[in-house]
Amino acid sequence: MGLHNGDKMMRYEEWSKLARKASKRSLWMVHFCTGCGAIEMPPVMTSRYDMERFGIASMATPRQADVLLITGYLTVKTLRRVIQVYEQMQSPKYVIAFGSCTINGGMYWDSYNTIKHLEKYIPVDLYIAGCMPRPEGIINAFLELMKLIDEGKARGWERYQKYYDKYKENQRRVFNFEVKEEKEEKEQKREKNEEH
Amino acid sequence: MLDIIFAELVVAAIITFFVREKLAAIIAFFISLLPLLALLDWASNYGFNLINLGIENHMKIYLAGVTLHLAITPLSWFFALMILPLFPVIMLYSYSFFKENDGFFALMLLSLLATFGILLSRDMLSLFLFWEMMSWSSFLLVYRSKDKNAIMSYLIFSVFAAFAILFGIIILWHENSSLLLSDILNISGKLGFVAIASIITGFAVKAVIMPLHAWAPFVYSKCDEPFVAFLSGGLSKLGYYGIFLFLFSLKGVDILQNYMTNVSWNYLLAVFGALSAFFATLIAILQDDLRKLLAYSSIGQLGYIAIGFGIGTPLAITGALFQAFNHAFFKAVLFLAAGIVAYRTGKWKISELGGLAYKMPFTFMATLFAIFALAAIPITSGFASKWLLYEAAIQQKYVFIAPIMLIAGVGAFLYSFRILYGVFLGENRHDSVEEAPKSMIAALFILVLPLIIFVVFPGYMLDLMKPALEAAGIESIAHTKFAIETSLAKYNSIAVLITLMVAMIPALVIYKARKHRVTSFEDNYLAGEPYELHKPAMHAANNYYKPLKKVLLPYLEPGATYYFEKIYNGIKCVSNAVRRIYTGYVQDYAIYVVLFLLFVMGWLIWI
Amino acid sequence: MDMIGIAIKITILAAYAIIGTCTGLLFMGVGRKIVARVHNRVGPPFYQNFIDVAKLLSKKTNISHGWIFDLALLFSISGILLTLLFLPIGGVQLLSMDGDAFLVLYLLAIPSLGFALGAGASGNPNAGVGVMRALVMMLSYELPFVITLIALMIYYDTTSLATIVRMQSINGIKSWAITMPPFMIAAFAADMALQGMLMEQPFDIPVAPHEIASGPMVEFGGKYLGSLMLYKAIALVAETTLFVDLFLGGGVVAHGNFAFIINFIVWLALIFLLFVLSILIAASFPRFRIEQAFGFYWKYEAIIAAISLIWVYIMVIK
Repeated sequence: MGLHNGDKMMRYEEWSKLARKASKRSLWMVHFCTGCGAIEMPPVMTSRYDMERFGIASMATPRQADVLLITGYLTVKTLRRVIQVYEQMQSPKYVIAFGSCTINGGMYWDSYNTIKHLEKYIPVDLYIAGCMPRPEGIINAFLELMKLIDEGKARGWERYQKYYDKYKENQRRVFNFEVKEEKEEKEQKREKNEEH
Repeated sequence: MLDIIFAELVVAAIITFFVREKLAAIIAFFISLLPLLALLDWASNYGFNLINLGIENHMKIYLAGVTLHLAITPLSWFFALMILPLFPVIMLYSYSFFKENDGFFALMLLSLLATFGILLSRDMLSLFLFWEMMSWSSFLLVYRSKDKNAIMSYLIFSVFAAFAILFGIIILWHENSSLLLSDILNISGKLGFVAIASIITGFAVKAVIMPLHAWAPFVYSKCDEPFVAFLSGGLSKLGYYGIFLFLFSLKGVDILQNYMTNVSWNYLLAVFGALSAFFATLIAILQDDLRKLLAYSSIGQLGYIAIGFGIGTPLAITGALFQAFNHAFFKAVLFLAAGIVAYRTGKWKISELGGLAYKMPFTFMATLFAIFALAAIPITSGFASKWLLYEAAIQQKYVFIAPIMLIAGVGAFLYSFRILYGVFLGENRHDSVEEAPKSMIAALFILVLPLIIFVVFPGYMLDLMKPALEAAGIESIAHTKFAIETSLAKYNSIAVLITLMVAMIPALVIYKARKHRVTSFEDNYLAGEPYELHKPAMHAANNYYKPLKKVLLPYLEPGATYYFEKIYNGIKCVSNAVRRIYTGYVQDYAIYVVLFLLFVMGWLIWI
Repeated sequence: MDMIGIAIKITILAAYAIIGTCTGLLFMGVGRKIVARVHNRVGPPFYQNFIDVAKLLSKKTNISHGWIFDLALLFSISGILLTLLFLPIGGVQLLSMDGDAFLVLYLLAIPSLGFALGAGASGNPNAGVGVMRALVMMLSYELPFVITLIALMIYYDTTSLATIVRMQSINGIKSWAITMPPFMIAAFAADMALQGMLMEQPFDIPVAPHEIASGPMVEFGGKYLGSLMLYKAIALVAETTLFVDLFLGGGVVAHGNFAFIINFIVWLALIFLLFVLSILIAASFPRFRIEQAFGFYWKYEAIIAAISLIWVYIMVIK
């Protein structure tokens, strides 16, 4: 990936209550929808279950957004792009994960190509159970996220900074199928076997 | 004193032809400062207060039986302030530009001599003499470019211009039986009109006014940048000097204004200027070659001066002279910056350049200032000149010219941004490019200085112009040091500047309130694609104005060049037909002689 | 050079700047509500844009691409504030005695220049193409707009906005420019040009999120986007005020003691009406491609504007 998240470690308590209130009522989501949940988003955005009344709007680029919605399963290929998008967002940023595939692999629990636990790779603030959750569930989730922001409990971005190395290790493991140290161990073992 | 300067210039020209390039540049630099210093010295004798000054320092040169009259006038003082500073700056720039000396400096010094002569000449013969000297010295400089189109077009147009001027001069001499400019009082009737019209046409070739501009894109895009900076910054102003001289400075020229109609014939000049501003700006937007873009932009900006002269009111003439002053400097800066870019990267096309701003910050800053002046951003002096011209057009209620002028002003934003984005901003496509040599940067910044000074003091420029205008009998407009006032509105530049600084405070507060982090170029939004995966092309500078091209190209294709080529082909056909008379056989020539004698005998018998 | 006078003037200017910003943000919020009602949904509260700006300016990280990128922020806010202060607002002259309509027209270009530089410095090709479209759009809508501007200027024989407003306020509503037939046509053309100036549908192709990842603003976030939103709010007020000053007499209907308050309310109502008109047009139309927009402005709008110009010219010459 090559991108170093070089922000200072910012303490959540410094962020004033007013800023949290402003952020809670003006969440902007990245218009990036993967998997099956993408079809549940248009009803949420349009007249039937209007999400704009809470101030949530969809934005074109991650630079302009606060919330990243992972709306379904993630293949390894998509995970790489999702991480790129997540790192291009500006903190404070939140992630909402839809569906069972992000919780424990869901329908694709035995696939070689999807990821099973999203929390290992990017910090998730809120999961929505279901396969796929209906728009009412999504609206409920947004309201829950707003409550969490207000209480100061939605701290995924802080987690990402604090445990950055561990997240990176997880990501590298799934992209390269082998971590560099394990590769070196295997090389050394093979050399030792050859010597014998 | 003037003959000493002339002699020194000739000697220096001969010397610089034979020495190496760096030494030649140094010699040329110091010698080219001489005319400017001489003029400053002359003006300081009067405390720089040149109002109500007539012809001073009249000098006569006796040359093969004719007398050349040279003198410094307030008008030539103003134009000299515009044109002469370009020479030392160009020599400073050329110190690092040329790898070998093949006569550039000698020819530039001869051009300087010719310029000085044109500005000082007080009779038509010396004007024509020095004009021709300017033509051939600049032609030799064009010849160095070795491009057939440029050389041929420049030669043909220069010769045409010279003949037109000569034609007019001969008519005026015949009518007034004197060559002195101050003696020309009898310009009337058809002959006078034809004389002035042909003289203005001749000067309009050099001051590129459409449709006589066809040589400019070829020549500007193929010659060396220092020379092109002089061509577009200086030579075009000499053309306008000539136009001003014969349009406003002569005493008897008012008679012409209403020749045969009620409308002043100056309006035609304004229309040509407006059309050249409009079309040249549109063509410049669609160009890819940096030099051709700057060439067409030159034609466009010079059209404004023609509009000012064409409208003819004091407001318009003031605006036109101010625009001429600004144009000399910012266009020279742009061409010199284009030369720096080519010198460092070797590329001309904007689609191949990119990302040079962080590598060449000083060049970028100078270009930015020049583009601010070109696009007439209100905090620069370029705005004051354009504002005066707009006011003049509205005051005279010229409803055809005014919208075209304004649209050309907006179009200037488009190609200015093309230059900035395509060359300086965006993706960096050159690995090892460093900043330009110091002499070039110094040259650029010397030229940018007047643009910055006159930002806040447009009134100062109007004070400079006053002597020139009064000598021509034009009253100047009401102004203070900071504000200009016309019958339509007021422009107070200090108010704009102070308010801008005050309005910058909230912006700075927001800027400083939150820290920011600078990321690298690869950290761009590419829909999530990591940059190092495919390294996609990130510079969107190829075929930049494609939608505009699609719409406008059908209307802009038949340009002036097309019609000139048709004329050229027609003349070629006729000449080919005439050539067939010379068959090379002596028998044919014998028959021609016999036929001619028969014809003559028959005619004599018949009479 | 009395200090008290200057201090009073500066306070008045600052007050109008703040009023302009708050009005703009309020209008943007109300505009979103109106669009939502057109779409048959509820829509955000009317103070939504204040919350948006507060959120953006309170972001913890802000990402920039260099000092040229930061110029976007600096030029945009200072430029648009400068423009607002040179317009007569509700009859109050502010600084408009020191500049005229051409100055305002060119001052409106300073923020665009800042955004163009910032977008170019970000290195994103979307931004480059977006700026190209924005500049072509500017070239397109300027033609009918300047033609109508010239028509007004030659009729009133002045280029100063303050004088135009004053001459239209002599008889109250009856002497507004829009009551004269040539200027009705001109106002129609200028309103279409206003739609392009505000970058609303059908002319929002340079900045549409779906078209080009929001064009020049693609790399803006945090405080940069916050300043952009403030710029949009003030630009809204400035451009509609320009239109109101030109055609609707600047909102000046009363002279006398309480005239200031009445004129202010009328001005507010007029720019709100203009804004609602533009929002309704925006909510009902898809967007033009850039060459279609260029053709629309330079063919049809220009002909309409030229008709009004020729009419006024004939009126004036007689």
